[in-house]
Amino acid sequence: MKLSLNWLKGFLFVQHSVAEIVEALTFAGVEVEGVEQRGADLDKVIVAQIESFEPHPNADRLSVCRVNDGSSLSRQIVCGAKNFRTGDKVALALPGAVLSDGVKIKVSKLRGVESEGMLCSPKELNLADDAAGLLILPADAVLGSPLSELFPPDTIFEVEVTPNRPDLLSHVGIARELAALLDLPRPKLPQVVARPESAREDSDVVRIEAPQGCPFYSARLLRGARVEPSPGWLRQRLEALGLRSINNVVDVTNYVLLELGQPLHVFDAAKIRGGIVVRSAKSGEELLALDGKDYELEPDDIVIADHERVLAIAGVMGGERSGVAATTTDLLLEAAYFNPGFIRRTSRRLGLISDSSFRFERGVDPEAVLLASARAIDLFLQVAGGKVDESIVIGGSVPNLTGVVEMRPERCNMVLGMEVPDSAKLLTRLELKHAGGNRWEIPSFRQDLVREIDLIEEVCRMAGIQRVPSRIYGSATRSSAADRAHDELMQLRQRLVGLGLFEARTLTLVDEHSLDLLVEARPDPSKLRNPLVEDQQILRPSLIPGLVRAAERNFNRGLSSVAIFEIGRIFRALAPEEYMCLSILLSGERQGKSWNQDAEPFDLFDLKGMLKAAFRKEFALARVQPTSFAPLVCNVIDEAGSMVGKVGQVRPGLSKEIGARGPVFVAELNLRIGETPKGFRYKPLDRFPAVVRDVAFLADRELKYQAVVDAFASANEPLLADVRLFDLFVDPSGEKVPAQKKSMACSLTYRASDRTLTQEEANVAHGRLKSQLVERLGVTLRE
Amino acid sequence: MDKDLQRLQETALGEIQQAHSKIALENLRVKFLGKAGAISQLSENMRNVPKEDRPRIGKLLNEVRNAVAVALDGRLVALESEGEAKNLSDVDETLPGTPFRVGGMHPLTLLQERAVQILRRLGFALADGPDIETEWHCFDALNTPANHPARNDSDTFYLPDGRLLRTHTSTVQIRTMVANEPPVRVIGPGAAYRRDETDATHLNQFNQLEGLYVDRNVSVADLKGTLEYFVRELLGQEVETRLRPHFFPFTEPSFELDIRLPGIQEGKWMELLGCGMVNPAVFEAVNLRRSDSAYDPENWTGFAFGMGLERLAMSLFGLPDIRLLIENDQRFLAQFAT
Repeated sequence: MKLSLNWLKGFLFVQHSVAEIVEALTFAGVEVEGVEQRGADLDKVIVAQIESFEPHPNADRLSVCRVNDGSSLSRQIVCGAKNFRTGDKVALALPGAVLSDGVKIKVSKLRGVESEGMLCSPKELNLADDAAGLLILPADAVLGSPLSELFPPDTIFEVEVTPNRPDLLSHVGIARELAALLDLPRPKLPQVVARPESAREDSDVVRIEAPQGCPFYSARLLRGARVEPSPGWLRQRLEALGLRSINNVVDVTNYVLLELGQPLHVFDAAKIRGGIVVRSAKSGEELLALDGKDYELEPDDIVIADHERVLAIAGVMGGERSGVAATTTDLLLEAAYFNPGFIRRTSRRLGLISDSSFRFERGVDPEAVLLASARAIDLFLQVAGGKVDESIVIGGSVPNLTGVVEMRPERCNMVLGMEVPDSAKLLTRLELKHAGGNRWEIPSFRQDLVREIDLIEEVCRMAGIQRVPSRIYGSATRSSAADRAHDELMQLRQRLVGLGLFEARTLTLVDEHSLDLLVEARPDPSKLRNPLVEDQQILRPSLIPGLVRAAERNFNRGLSSVAIFEIGRIFRALAPEEYMCLSILLSGERQGKSWNQDAEPFDLFDLKGMLKAAFRKEFALARVQPTSFAPLVCNVIDEAGSMVGKVGQVRPGLSKEIGARGPVFVAELNLRIGETPKGFRYKPLDRFPAVVRDVAFLADRELKYQAVVDAFASANEPLLADVRLFDLFVDPSGEKVPAQKKSMACSLTYRASDRTLTQEEANVAHGRLKSQLVERLGVTLRE
Repeated sequence: MDKDLQRLQETALGEIQQAHSKIALENLRVKFLGKAGAISQLSENMRNVPKEDRPRIGKLLNEVRNAVAVALDGRLVALESEGEAKNLSDVDETLPGTPFRVGGMHPLTLLQERAVQILRRLGFALADGPDIETEWHCFDALNTPANHPARNDSDTFYLPDGRLLRTHTSTVQIRTMVANEPPVRVIGPGAAYRRDETDATHLNQFNQLEGLYVDRNVSVADLKGTLEYFVRELLGQEVETRLRPHFFPFTEPSFELDIRLPGIQEGKWMELLGCGMVNPAVFEAVNLRRSDSAYDPENWTGFAFGMGLERLAMSLFGLPDIRLLIENDQRFLAQFAT
């Protein structure tokens, strides 16, 4: 919302600087998003009049104008705007003037025609944001007079009001707040002409059939008004605050809205058949609203109708057919209190937010309704003439929203953490009335104050948070499962980073195609009901699609190796719906070529080895059915025999598609984290030396290494401490090793925990294992 | 004989000293100490030595043999270390080091972890909650009006069953209080979602760090002191802070904490986090769910805060586009691997 300092000063005697006002508002919780100076610095810009104009000989979009600048000679000005007529008064920047954007005006030729100055738009003069056409001045502006006389300097604040403070959505409201904050006398409300008020109820004129939605409605008739452009002062007030001037009648309602915060509506009285009925809409009833759109209404909506049809959506927007037009002479002014819940529901359902609905749904001051009506009538008479009806017709009654709230000073001190001896004085400044004891009477415009904590907050705001001391105190807390989980995940990250991987973070919401990038079929992914865009509608069932996309981006940007991981939540429709996962993607070089080493590409066993190094656990891989994404897929099985994830190699065609220069390997593991850690016990160190014996053998190409390990294990040799495969060789040419065979060599470590092994003991054990190998696997030993 | 021995020793020691290779030294060993060597030959002459002289000459012979052996060994050690020194002097220490792969954590993880460690030092424990939440946890329990715009389909992602992706990590406050009696002192880092268009400054998913402290006599002063300490530890002692009253349905009074840091956002005040005293209505909602009055607002007060990590990362690291944080370009990630 925008505020004019000049306008505020109309109610409030404030001599503080702009910076002090900004600070006061900021520390009251009204965020000041911008401060603009308007109107000032308009040297050498004067009022001039268009005498005539003709098309520019060399440019279709320009005109050449003769203007009267108040002197005897007329000036020739080239102008690009179209919104003026002969006789209009406009703003002329004379040579030497400097406009708001810093442009200095001088006599110059535009497409070959001399221009002795420039006609200005409101934007160029820093008066409003309108840059489309010239600023057209009121007809009574004095030719040759400085423009600054018409537009006195003003400061415009752009503020953001939080939804709990509808009372601040007006100049009077802000003036009240500033008075309280700066400890100034209370603002003067605008004076209205006292009329012999005879509010009368007349159900033929105003009938409320939906009192829950509209507890109070008033209508006042004004006959013989002239609908015409607003006078300059009214237009400037609105335009300075970013509103478009429509006509004098509509502008007055907007003026009162900005001044008092009470939305008003004017009907063309001639178009009302019978009287006003405030009722629920009928199902399927439609209204062509002032924004030119048709709205279909429902019984939850409150409407203003006449005896035949709907005229307006109550509190939200008027109807096109009953609105004020140039031909309107008789005005019916509506000032009402609508129930916030009803307005909010209708506004949301229709997706229609207006300045009115914005205020009604937050709650207007019911006690300002009639004041606003009277104020608008005064202004109508001033700018549109006419004669006002003797009486105002009302329906229902002004709801009493004042309440009494208790605030215990000691409770206030406790919550704020300081003594506030002047809390009563601070509340009084906010126009709360002491009602005896700890009780406070709340003014009707502060409907947000209903509980003790609300008053404590007010004391805090008024005293200033700066006054509150800083204190650190806290009781000790026990660590939680979440603490353990966090630590485990951080440790896992550190280990993966130590292995040379980068941590990626990808988004939770993915597209349908991501379902093609899985190492494991995940039926029924969780989907959003209301995605914003199509490519973000599924809750990721795996981290791998995100990593594949990240790899693709890296490859496309010229990187040849990608080694990334992500630790994050994945989702599925069945319980558990969310769980923590680790995914890794490797492609390219594990080791780059250098003067002392050759390049080594990543392979599946790097991935397997990384898992072991990261988790400090042995994992077994077991081949399973390939998927269309990964022709090689293995289950990852932990030491307890549980399947904990998958590793795979991406289909070569896809690897190429994403720009990889070689194979792409992926892994995904479910993480079981936050479990109570098992007690750790030290194992005695080996005290006696080991004996190492090698065995080399030829086996069938199909033989898996696991079978070798199992064969050794089946011997139950108590002295065998370790088996390590140190050579694997195949020769498709069959020269060194028969083509259908492979040569393997293992290093076996023998050790006894209680003595130094003799060579003979080791030899006996080794001999037994070798024959075990031959017997079980039919391999040929190579001696 | 005496003289022969003496001459031999002198010759041997002289030649050994002149030897410049292991081979030459080995030849000298054979020449002097070998089976057919000079000393052996001399010892064969013992037969010609008078009987009374034999013990003395024998002793002398041994001394010469030992002296030559010691000289040979000494010269060998000397030659070896000369060789090593020569090899080492050939090393080109300006050759590049072996290129090891270096990884790194994501900047958001690093920033989050810094924050977590500071708050843990103050005694906060971690807490957690799901990304998929009920409307009750995300809105109702947090005192959000039934028709608050945040609940709209246009602002929040919903699942077909009516649940939603949490719009803030404040849900963790509710889950913690429903499951635990006071006092509680927890932080909950995690993802939150808003139905926003993605652009240079917005993602529809972001990371928050939530905090909650409920105890007896927790006051605005505790909130202020704790957060000031936290922010100074996180961003350096030179950071300026200010609390600005604000509005959130779930806290009252509510504040935004702004920071000002030289060189960050042109030294302007920048919003860092939202905070406030837990609204009694939140305690009441929790009590209702717990079916007890464990969080009686008369006995317990608390403060809560929530900080977004992405915007802070952008300001601290000078990122021009928030999407850098989700692109996972390794060149970008490598910049943080320090």
